[in-house]
Amino acid sequence: MNSSPIVRLEHVQKTYIQGKIEVHAINDVSLDIQAGDFAALCGPSGSGKTSLLNLIGGLDVPSAGKVWVDGVDLASLSRSELSEVRKNRIGFVFQAYNLIPVMTAYENAAFVLDLQDVEEKEKHQRVMDTLKAVGLQGLEQRRPDEMSGGQQQRVAIARAIVTRPAIVLADEPTANVDSETAKSLLNMMANLNKQQGITFLFSTHDQHVMDKARRIIQVHDGRIESDSAKSDSAVS
Amino acid sequence: MKLNQLAFRNIFRRKRRTLITASSVAFGVLLSVTFTGTGDYTYTHMIDAGAKMGMGHVTVEPVGYQNSPTLNKKLQHIDKMLDEIRNLDNVSDAVPRIMGQAMFASANKSIGGVFIAVNPNIENAKNNLFIQSLSEGKLFSANSKHGIVVGYKLAHKLRLKLGKKLVYTTTDASGEIISRIARVKGMFKTGVDTIDASMVLLPLAATQQALGYSSNQASLIAVLIHDQRKADDMRDKIASLHSTQNYEELSWHEAQPDLAGVIAMDKSMNYISQFLVGLIIAAGILNTMLMSVLERKHEFGMMMAVGLSPQALFKLVMVESFWLALLGLTLGIVITAPWFYFLYYHGIDLSSGFGDDFTYGGVLIDPLFKARLFPESIVFILGSVFSLAMLAGAYPAWKAGRTPPIESLKTI
Repeated sequence: MNSSPIVRLEHVQKTYIQGKIEVHAINDVSLDIQAGDFAALCGPSGSGKTSLLNLIGGLDVPSAGKVWVDGVDLASLSRSELSEVRKNRIGFVFQAYNLIPVMTAYENAAFVLDLQDVEEKEKHQRVMDTLKAVGLQGLEQRRPDEMSGGQQQRVAIARAIVTRPAIVLADEPTANVDSETAKSLLNMMANLNKQQGITFLFSTHDQHVMDKARRIIQVHDGRIESDSAKSDSAVS
Repeated sequence: MKLNQLAFRNIFRRKRRTLITASSVAFGVLLSVTFTGTGDYTYTHMIDAGAKMGMGHVTVEPVGYQNSPTLNKKLQHIDKMLDEIRNLDNVSDAVPRIMGQAMFASANKSIGGVFIAVNPNIENAKNNLFIQSLSEGKLFSANSKHGIVVGYKLAHKLRLKLGKKLVYTTTDASGEIISRIARVKGMFKTGVDTIDASMVLLPLAATQQALGYSSNQASLIAVLIHDQRKADDMRDKIASLHSTQNYEELSWHEAQPDLAGVIAMDKSMNYISQFLVGLIIAAGILNTMLMSVLERKHEFGMMMAVGLSPQALFKLVMVESFWLALLGLTLGIVITAPWFYFLYYHGIDLSSGFGDDFTYGGVLIDPLFKARLFPESIVFILGSVFSLAMLAGAYPAWKAGRTPPIESLKTI
């Protein structure tokens, strides 16, 4: 296992103010995610899974504690610098696909590469390879409304991994698809993890994801209750 | 895909809304062209008419004549001045005139008024509104000793007809009172009552002789130019001529401050109207862009989450405003062109409502509602409509860029 983690959280707290009440969404969480992890943050709704992903993704700032991603202390960054980190080091997969409706599958997958100003020829090669890897060969010119939910989520995964990020953060990626599609997506992400070494961190309460994950981090009331690795034989 | 391509596609997401917004921009162009075009036409018409009534677009006159126009103030060596002025670019004509006050008496009545002495060899319907407005008879000849052309209302008051005699009394160059007999050769009807009831034309040579002027002297030189907007430049050019060094040069708005004031006031009202129209258009675009930003808040949150910077998001929405403005302007040009063509070549005849002799600012207004546009007006209209559209898009763009992605992602 790599000694330098991709993600490190140190005594992270996140408190929201709702009206006059303080809500402690994250309570003193410390956590390392190593390169090559295929980990799942599990727990009931409101346990703090998504809040943790948002903090790791630089979408939110902790009330206390520190978050490092790929060695970068997120607290020290401006909004623009955080954008750079998200663009270059983090891939996001959302529950509701979140594709840009006026773009084709190819254009959606290439969106972040365009932001990175990747040269056209290289961009084309990487997008085509990635779309092939996620099983969308031949569907490059389809728009989101011409694709099924599973296909759209594959495009979202392609968009997340095409930039070769340090980590892919996937927030309930199987919540909006049927169980067969969910299995297929998980197998695909597991293969990408194995073959390309892409680090995945899921938030989920889907049993399929938990079965597939090699590390289960149980979150409850904003605290980590348990953090356990599974042997390869225990992964379904 | 580059941002401008994405922005272009985005504006066609809601085709009907885009079309309605673009139509409001186009309607703004139509209104602005109508306001500005009719203004440009009417002001030019008023200024040209005022210039042809006596003082020209630029007047060369003795120092102090403007405040105290007495006949003892004279220009000398006008032939040399006229030669130099006529050689300047943009000058369509330069004519010497003597203007003064006189008492006009017929067998029945005496009335005070103003005379303008003109040279019929160089004055005609093109450069003299009174000659253009001749309603009866004709202009006297250059060597006429007793010819006079009178305003038809003055003629009516004095009970004069063509061929009848009148006596005019004035002071000459040395301040002595002189009287001369004249015979009515023609009558003019400008449509401006105060002018038609008080003004007459006299032959320049006979008037010079009567007032004790030499043939090379006059009260003023009226300079008419092709483009009235360049009157100030022309005034400065004329002022730099060798022959005009001891005299004063005034552009039309200095020589006719009343007319200039009326036009300035009308222009201000026109600008206010256009500003209000602009506000309505801007409100439409602001509304469209705000709606468009609000309904895509979640999408913007996702775009920022995957790495789009706040500045790039601001740019994206501004580029959308740009495309929307461009679409509106293009549509505006398409619908305005035939309307402007009609106003430019045909116009709308308003004489049934206003009559043929509607005056404003002391000059006759053309009852034809016509339009013309100066190049700078076209640039102003397109520039201001475009700027307003961009300005209206700036707030939604700023709002989109300012919202933290976490907030945007929470919206459904």
